[in-house]
Amino acid sequence: MSHIIVNRIEKQFPNGVQALRGVSMEIAAGSFTVLIGPSGAGKSTLLRMLNGLELPSSGTVSIEGQTLGPRVMQRIRAKTGMIFQHFNLVGRLSVMTNVLTGRLSHRSWIGSVLYLFHERDLKIAHHALERVGITEKAWERADRLSGGQQQRVGVARALAQGPRLILADEPVASLDPVAGEEIMRLLRKICDQDGITVLVSLHQVALAKRYADRIIGLNAGKIVFDGAPKALEHDVLNHIYRNQKAIGNEEHFEAQMAYA
Amino acid sequence: MKNILKLRWPTRNGFPPLWCLIALGLTIGMSFFFAPAAEISAVRLLSSFPRMIEFCGKIIVVPDWSYLPDLGGKMLETMEMTFLATSIAVGISLPLSILAAKNTSPHPCVFHATRSLLSFMRALPELVWALVFVSAVGLGPLPGVMALAFVTVGFMAKFFAEAIEVVDPKPVEGVAAHGAGWLHIRTFAHLPQAWPDFISTVMYILDHNLRAATVLGLVGAGGIGYDMIMSMRLFDYNRLILIALSIYVVVTLLDRASDVFRKRVT
Amino acid sequence: MNGPELTPLPKKPFSWTPIWIFAWLLTLCLIVSDLHISFGALAYAYRDIIEYFGRYTSPDFSDLPKYLKLLFQTVATAFWGTLIASVVGFFLAPFAARNLSSGPKVYRIAREMLNFMRAMPDLLLALIFVASLGLGPFPGVLALGVHTSGFLGKFFAESMERIDRGVIEAVSATGASRAQVVMYAGWPSILRESLGYILYIMDRNVRMASVLGLVGAGGIGLELHDTLRMFRYDESAALIIVILAAILFFDCISTYIRGKLT
Repeated sequence: MSHIIVNRIEKQFPNGVQALRGVSMEIAAGSFTVLIGPSGAGKSTLLRMLNGLELPSSGTVSIEGQTLGPRVMQRIRAKTGMIFQHFNLVGRLSVMTNVLTGRLSHRSWIGSVLYLFHERDLKIAHHALERVGITEKAWERADRLSGGQQQRVGVARALAQGPRLILADEPVASLDPVAGEEIMRLLRKICDQDGITVLVSLHQVALAKRYADRIIGLNAGKIVFDGAPKALEHDVLNHIYRNQKAIGNEEHFEAQMAYA
Repeated sequence: MKNILKLRWPTRNGFPPLWCLIALGLTIGMSFFFAPAAEISAVRLLSSFPRMIEFCGKIIVVPDWSYLPDLGGKMLETMEMTFLATSIAVGISLPLSILAAKNTSPHPCVFHATRSLLSFMRALPELVWALVFVSAVGLGPLPGVMALAFVTVGFMAKFFAEAIEVVDPKPVEGVAAHGAGWLHIRTFAHLPQAWPDFISTVMYILDHNLRAATVLGLVGAGGIGYDMIMSMRLFDYNRLILIALSIYVVVTLLDRASDVFRKRVT
Repeated sequence: MNGPELTPLPKKPFSWTPIWIFAWLLTLCLIVSDLHISFGALAYAYRDIIEYFGRYTSPDFSDLPKYLKLLFQTVATAFWGTLIASVVGFFLAPFAARNLSSGPKVYRIAREMLNFMRAMPDLLLALIFVASLGLGPFPGVLALGVHTSGFLGKFFAESMERIDRGVIEAVSATGASRAQVVMYAGWPSILRESLGYILYIMDRNVRMASVLGLVGAGGIGLELHDTLRMFRYDESAALIIVILAAILFFDCISTYIRGKLT
């Protein structure tokens, strides 16, 4: 059964940039999919659209049979965890409170406005922290943590929600290689053990090949590759990452090729 | 060769830039334009120096120490009014500021309406409102507290809203992406991030309010101001100097305390 | 969800927040009882209060020319107060900036002076000046000038302290004297900010000048006081509207210009 169905979406930003040009895809439930492509290819826009952070100019996104729109937005977001490149934690709040924000969609507004939570929510948050292995930092302020630890908090926040789908927008781009590897392993484990659909956008082709069930390559707002990691040959990569000159980032391209 | 010694400004044509001349001309012109209405005249200023010195001689007298306990009570009342009014204003400003910040307001109309309300509230000085409230509810600290709180809300909610407007949008997105509701996003992402700015705003306003509260008594709205104007009218300079001194001490102490406090909360 | 191998959470660190909140609420209660404020009575009296404010609903503008003349005097007072404050602030600020001052002692003295001027409420100063110089707007100008000199001096000095150290070092490395450093590294770096502060102070002074009349220092405030005292609410309402319009007008202008400056 497909979890996500994306139907011919286009996205034009108010400044005229055409980020997506007719993207269609289906993502199976419980799969681990990686989006790759050069900077500005539309990976982030596509991911953010699946959570309603951006709205498509045309075309539809449906998640578990529900078409994404303003009225069902909060219900869909409640079932979707999101992990960000820059972690997007509220730095001044404790790690625990940050993880608990994942529970907000399940709480009425009155109690939680005063920062009160059920014991049960606390338990869930504790479990989430345990899974990412930073229980001992629970009461520290989130901005006192290292990058890798902050991203774990981000993963825990997504987990605490009890999501059916986790979207990760370049989760390892601001981490060192070791921490990045750990986050990817964590996401893979979550996908395998809990059967949560995971969709990750990545810059590192090597990581993508190692962890993904399926790789989707985007270039200039279009899908140019869709298949198993094994099918990702050198010339295919060339195809995905072509036109780098237009963006003026040739070195980056070379680095990508070296990784692959 | 004599050109070498000629003075010129470091611009293309050697003259000061046009905007500079215009600004200077405007300032000088306006000072002359306003001088008669403000009764500014060099003669008056010069002739007033002896009187000023004479007055200073009169005012520097032995303080009336027996007045001290009374003064303490009045000063305490002033501080209490300040604290109470500021606290009330915090309670009202928090929700208002959410409506008055561009990024958290439910609708542009609400944003503009709230901003206009706030600029109306802070337009008139506390003393005008104190005058009005005194004739509404009678003498005493109550009209003073009401006037202070009323004007303070106008300032505080605006400053709070400005603090909310500059919070980092990334964590806001992080909280929103997890399905948090409208109010949740505001309490869990916007307010904690704006918190340090809130604290320094409150400290700054506390400072301002203390100074404002010291003069509310002029119109009978409680605090030390009443004693101040009475001792002035009765030429009771032994008291006046004590009052001025105590205001200086209390305001300075609060100023220092708020500096320390602001540095700690970041 | 219930794995048995859950490591216990570390001990929750002690939080002062509830204690602070409790202390704060307690203080508020004590204050309310000490000031004998009864919010209950206020609630009961709301009918009277509404009736009272009803008296302001028919403003009487028959004396408008007089009000405008007083308003002009108010604005003139505010302008001159701001002018004096700007000049005094201009000369005092470099001494009160840690990075441009000529020594820690001078710095402390300058700061204390500014602090003293700021601490004296302008109405108290106005009272004193009226007593020594007689009635009229002139003592008001002096009061506003002295009080806001403290503000402007402090604002200028703090802006100067934020100047990039390299700029100051570069100018002083050429062998410039202290005054030259101030004129070539200090003021040019903070010109825009300073203009913003001056506008802000002008705005504030218009506000304050409208109440200086209460102590006999000229302007529109005395008129308001008198009409209120004689229960001529229609005229009070007209005066309040005139003052409000003037203040909002200046507020708009200064916000607009400050927006342009940054």
